[in-house]
Amino acid sequence: MPKLVVKNIRKVFGTFEAVKDVSFQVEEKETLCLLGPSGCGKTTTLRIIAGLEVPTSGEVFVDGVLVNDVPPQKRQIGLVFQDYAIFPHLSVFENIAYGLRVRKMPEAQIERKVHETAALVDVEGILDVPGKKLGLSEMQRVAVGRSITLDPKLLLLDEPLSNIDAKARERMRAELGKLQKEIGIATVYVTHDQLEAMTLADRIAVMRNGLIEQIGTTSEIYDSARTLFVANFIGSPSMNQIDCEFVYDEEQAILKSGGFSLDITEFAETIRDRSKGKELVLGIRPENVSLDIEKTDPKAIEAEVQLVEPVGAKSIYHLKISGLTVLAKDYPMPEANVGVKVWATFNKDKLHLFDKKTEEAIL
Amino acid sequence: MARTKGMAKNIVRYLLLIVVCAWTLAPVAWMVSLSFKGPTEWYAPNLIPAQPIVDNYINLFIPTNPIGGSHFFTSITEPITKPLINSLIAAGLGTLFAVLVGFLAAYGVSRYRAGGTFIIFFTLLTRMLPGATFVAPLMVFYSSIRFIDTYMGLILLYTAVTLTYAIWLMKGFIDEIPPEWEEAALLEGASPWTVLRKVTIPLTKGGLAASALFIFILNWSEFLFALVISVTQVTTLPVQISKYVSAVGRMYGTQASLGIIATIPSVALGYLIQKHLVTGFTFGRIR
Repeated sequence: MPKLVVKNIRKVFGTFEAVKDVSFQVEEKETLCLLGPSGCGKTTTLRIIAGLEVPTSGEVFVDGVLVNDVPPQKRQIGLVFQDYAIFPHLSVFENIAYGLRVRKMPEAQIERKVHETAALVDVEGILDVPGKKLGLSEMQRVAVGRSITLDPKLLLLDEPLSNIDAKARERMRAELGKLQKEIGIATVYVTHDQLEAMTLADRIAVMRNGLIEQIGTTSEIYDSARTLFVANFIGSPSMNQIDCEFVYDEEQAILKSGGFSLDITEFAETIRDRSKGKELVLGIRPENVSLDIEKTDPKAIEAEVQLVEPVGAKSIYHLKISGLTVLAKDYPMPEANVGVKVWATFNKDKLHLFDKKTEEAIL
Repeated sequence: MARTKGMAKNIVRYLLLIVVCAWTLAPVAWMVSLSFKGPTEWYAPNLIPAQPIVDNYINLFIPTNPIGGSHFFTSITEPITKPLINSLIAAGLGTLFAVLVGFLAAYGVSRYRAGGTFIIFFTLLTRMLPGATFVAPLMVFYSSIRFIDTYMGLILLYTAVTLTYAIWLMKGFIDEIPPEWEEAALLEGASPWTVLRKVTIPLTKGGLAASALFIFILNWSEFLFALVISVTQVTTLPVQISKYVSAVGRMYGTQASLGIIATIPSVALGYLIQKHLVTGFTFGRIR
C-alpha cells in the first residue's frame, strides 16, 4: 500500500491559485521528486502534505489514513526545511533529541536513539556544538537527523541544497543520496534543480503553474518527455528545439524548416496518426547529435561550427545548420574549430516531436 | 597626519558625548543636590549643598521629623512605605498582565493573522488621544462600579493602557523569528503551547525583557490616572511626591529625595536584565 497518497489537491491564497490539481502516490522506500520552476506550487504542496497549510480542497492520505484534519504534530512526518531551521539556542544533541524529549522518552533511550541517529548522519563529533555555530553541511545533517529520530512514516525535504554554493552542493548531493539509501523511508523531495532531481529521485513529478506536467522515472522523463516544457526543463544543456513543418507524400516524409530538412519516413505513419496539425517542434538533445569531420553517414547534415565549449570529457558545439542554431555534445575533435564544416547526424531513436505546444508524437 | 586627524575626531566625539550626557543628566544631578539641601537652600542656585543634610530622606520614613530643625512641617503624617508598596503592586502587576496578555495577543496577530490587517493600528488609536480626555469618563465609570481607590481599578487601568505598547513591541520581536523554527518543532510532535514555551519565548527573551522594562517604567511613573483614582488607599509614589507641601510652600528637598528613591526600582530592574536589553533594545526592528 502506498505510503503517501495525494488526491486532487487544490490551494488558493486569496485570489491566487498556487496549486490547481495535484495527485500522486509515493510507495514505501521510494523517493519522489517534485521538480519545477519557482512559483509552480511544489513547496505549497509539500507544506500541505506536512500539515502546515490546509488545502482548499483535496485529500492527503498517509499510510492509508486520511490526515486532512490531523495537525502537523500528529502526522508522524519529518520535514527538512530549506534553511534547515536548526534551533540555534540548543546543541546538536538537543536538536536531534527534540522530538524524543517532547514525547517524554526516558533519558537512557534518548541517549541511545540520538547516538544512533548521529552515527547515521555523521555528526557524532559535534554533538555539543550549539546550533548557531554550525556550518551549512553540518546543519543539513543535523536537520536530516532530527527529522528521522521519531521514525516518521514519510520524509519531506524542501530544497535542502539550494542555499549551498556549487562546489559543496556536489558533495552534499552525494551525501544526501547515500543517506537516503541507508535510511530507506518514503521521501518527497522538492527542488528546482533538475540535476538534483535526476540524481536523487526514483521518480520525478515535473510541475508547472500548480499542475503536474508529467510524472515518471528519471529515464522516462528524460527520454520520453510528454510535453515541451518537461523536455526543456530537464537536461543540460537544454534540448534543441526546431520549429518545423511536417511534409509528406507517398514515398517519404520530412521535417522541414527553412533550408533544413530531416528524413523521418520511418515514423511517418505514427506522426500522421498522432499529430493534429502540420506544425511541429522537433526536439533532440545535444548528446544525441553526433558529429564527424567527414560525411561518413550518407544522411548526415552539413553544419558549420560557430563556437566550441570544452566542458569536460565531451565538448559542446554550437552549430549553424541552414540558418538554425543547433547544439551538439560530442567528443572533442581537434580539427573542428570555429568556421569549420562538419557533418551532423541526428540519432533517430532519440527524436522528440511535439505539437506546437504540449503533446509529443514519438520518442 | 591621519593619526592626528583620527585623534581630533575622537576628541570631538567624546566632547559631544559628554555634553549630551551632561544635558540629559543635569536635572538628575540637581535632584540629588536638592535632596541633600536644607530648606534655606532649596531656592539657592548652588549645585553643592553648603550644609548637606539627610533630613529629607529621614522625613520620608519618619514624617514628624522637622527638617533641619526649621519650621517646615509637612501635612504628611505617614511614612512612604505604603505608597511605595502601592506603586510596586500597581506597576508590577500592571506590567505583568500587560506583558502576558500582550505577548499572547501579539503571537496571535503575528502567526495567525488574528484581527485582520489593521488590528495593530486600532489598538494604537487609544494612544492617540491625550490621557486627560479619558479622565472624566473614567471617573464616572469607575465610581459606578466602585473601582475608585482600589488596587483592582488601578492595575486594570495600567494593564489596559500599556497593553497597546506591549502588543506593538512584542509583535515586532515575534516577527523576527522565522516561522520555520516553530514549524520544525511542530513537526517534531510539540503542541502549539510547547512551541511557545520552548521555541518562541527563548528566542524572543531579549525583546520581552526590553518590552517589560519599557512598560514598567511607563506604569511606575504614571501620574495623572493615579492621581484621579486614588484617594487614600492606593496612592502611588508619583502622587505622593506631589503631596509634599507645607503651610509655607512646596518641600522641594523632600520631593527630590523621594524622586531619587523612586528611580531605584527602574534602575535596578534595568541593571538586572541588561544582558537581555542589549539584544532587545534595537527598537528600529519594528517595521
